[in-house]
Amino acid sequence: MIHVQNLSKTFARVRAVDDVTFSVAAGEVFGLLGPNGAGKTTTLRILATLLRPDAGSASVAGLDVQRDAEAVRRTIGVVNGGMGLYDRLTGREILRYFGRLYDMDARAIDRRIAEVDDLLDLGDALTKPAGTFSTGMRQKVVIARAVLHDPPVIFFDEVTSGLDVMARRAVLDVVRAYPSAERAVIYSTHVMSEVEELCDRAAVLYRGRLVAQGSIDELKREAGETDLERAFFSLVERSGLAGDDDATRVAA
Amino acid sequence: MLRRIAAKEILSTLRDRRAIVSNLLIPLLLLPIIMLGLPLLLGGLFEREAETVTTLAVQGLEQMPDELVALVEAQQARLEPFDDVERAVRDDEVPAGIVVPDGFAAALAAGESTSVGIYRKAGNIRSELNAGKLEGAVNAYRQLVVAERLGAAGIDPSVLEPVTIARLDASTDAERSSGQLAWLIPFFIAIWTLSGGQMTAIDATAGEKERGTLEVLLVAPVRRAEVVVGKFLATTLFGLMAASMAIVGFVVGGVVMRSIFLPRLGEDAGEMVAIMGGSLTITPLTVVLLLVSAVLLAGLVAALLISVTLFARSFKEAQTYVAPLSFLLIVPAIGLQFRDLIDAGTALYWIPMLNAMVLMDDVVRGSATVAGIGITWLSLLGVITLLLVFAFRSFGREDVLFRT
Repeated sequence: MIHVQNLSKTFARVRAVDDVTFSVAAGEVFGLLGPNGAGKTTTLRILATLLRPDAGSASVAGLDVQRDAEAVRRTIGVVNGGMGLYDRLTGREILRYFGRLYDMDARAIDRRIAEVDDLLDLGDALTKPAGTFSTGMRQKVVIARAVLHDPPVIFFDEVTSGLDVMARRAVLDVVRAYPSAERAVIYSTHVMSEVEELCDRAAVLYRGRLVAQGSIDELKREAGETDLERAFFSLVERSGLAGDDDATRVAA
Repeated sequence: MLRRIAAKEILSTLRDRRAIVSNLLIPLLLLPIIMLGLPLLLGGLFEREAETVTTLAVQGLEQMPDELVALVEAQQARLEPFDDVERAVRDDEVPAGIVVPDGFAAALAAGESTSVGIYRKAGNIRSELNAGKLEGAVNAYRQLVVAERLGAAGIDPSVLEPVTIARLDASTDAERSSGQLAWLIPFFIAIWTLSGGQMTAIDATAGEKERGTLEVLLVAPVRRAEVVVGKFLATTLFGLMAASMAIVGFVVGGVVMRSIFLPRLGEDAGEMVAIMGGSLTITPLTVVLLLVSAVLLAGLVAALLISVTLFARSFKEAQTYVAPLSFLLIVPAIGLQFRDLIDAGTALYWIPMLNAMVLMDDVVRGSATVAGIGITWLSLLGVITLLLVFAFRSFGREDVLFRT
């Protein structure tokens, strides 16, 4: 459903994404696992048509992210950790605004709002301005906005940072329940336990490079570890990227 | 899609109480307060100063003819002898003083010339006002003496004025009635569009970046050109609303001023009307010309705001970019007052911002030409388009959108 082929992207002289290749099938939650600066957000921004790759290609639901950018945007939903909302608008107004941007008619929007309300338990968030939301409420509305147009593909980028345990649980449940025969999810995080719980397969990113990919069991087996966190460090170390000075990130 | 994006920016601004106060209330109230308050305050001060009896210093009172003393006292002043008038004025014991030299009376009696000294503190309004009283009295006395001496010599005083000048006005009614402050209206439109539009512009650009909503908006299937134009339209609308409020305030202030103050001012009333915007000649055509020019001027300011604020990462940074823009408006407004001296022909109409002000000034004076209107509108439309294209390009630049 999602294909990423030899993708590279350089900012100034930093290689944020360096020759990354992976695929995600329908029905999967695919994990992007890596520390800050590994290239997870840049990869997702290229897939979301916000950035142009320097080299390589990527497609979502058979649509090329560069040639069919607008069609790709109709196909995807994006949830990021920034949790940005319009503070002076209520949850319902925000959802209606985005529904209209996706060309949904008023009735369809209200029907979908009722559905996501059931799913996420938005409660007061629909009637109160976003400026008054708690962090958990905020993230729920951000997710509601991303799933409102029922996209086949959703990208979650570091969505649980800063959430309390209850809100985090609710978010993880939504992610887990989302994939179906026609839907897929990419879940980017640096939290190993979340990858272990949610993801069918994952890619380990480090300094812009894809270090390893496969099912969680395959990753552990490849590293010869039983614990995913140990496996992660072992894979990074084996790649030869760890510990080097920043020269390795600088394009020649 | 355009409408949806603009509608959201409008709703978001309307919810911002601070923006509403600074957009609509302040422009509505500020001008009437200045227009009514300032003359009230100043008028009161001048009136009081003119009416209260002030003590003024005199040196050589015994030399002063009675007529001169009477003339000074007729100006609400009382003369008090001082040994050192200069020091009395310097030490603020009295606001002004007069020194009459020895032999003053004798010189006058002999038909000779002589002089008096009047002390004041230059730049001190109260002192200047009172020195003015003394000067007025001395001038009046001088005319008395001249008439007396000419009469004694059997000469008609009209020999002193063999030629008189009649000041005749060749300006048209529209020019005459447009008022010396007519340039204020285009200036208000520009300056209030800037102040009224900036909240919306910053919120819609740097604000979206700071909150992290811009990324989500750009992931939606919306064309970036529509995003830019939608935000531009909302900014223009709020700018125009603020400008309209300022003009309503100006007109209301003018009406109140005419009905309350002018009757009290008597013969100076005509002059005051002329200065405070006069009685503009309004016909349907001038209204249309003014409206189109005002909308284009507001559009120019809004396009400038959008393209500048888009570069900022945060609300605060955007505000520092916007502040210097007001100079772009003040400079042409000042230039406009000297337009009679700048003989640039139609070249003036090519300069954006200035041209809108010049044209609106022309319209209220009834001297607008087809060429002036055409060039101005064309130039404004051209610059607005350029700025929007620039903003659109910025929206496509990764380094502008993802600067952190």
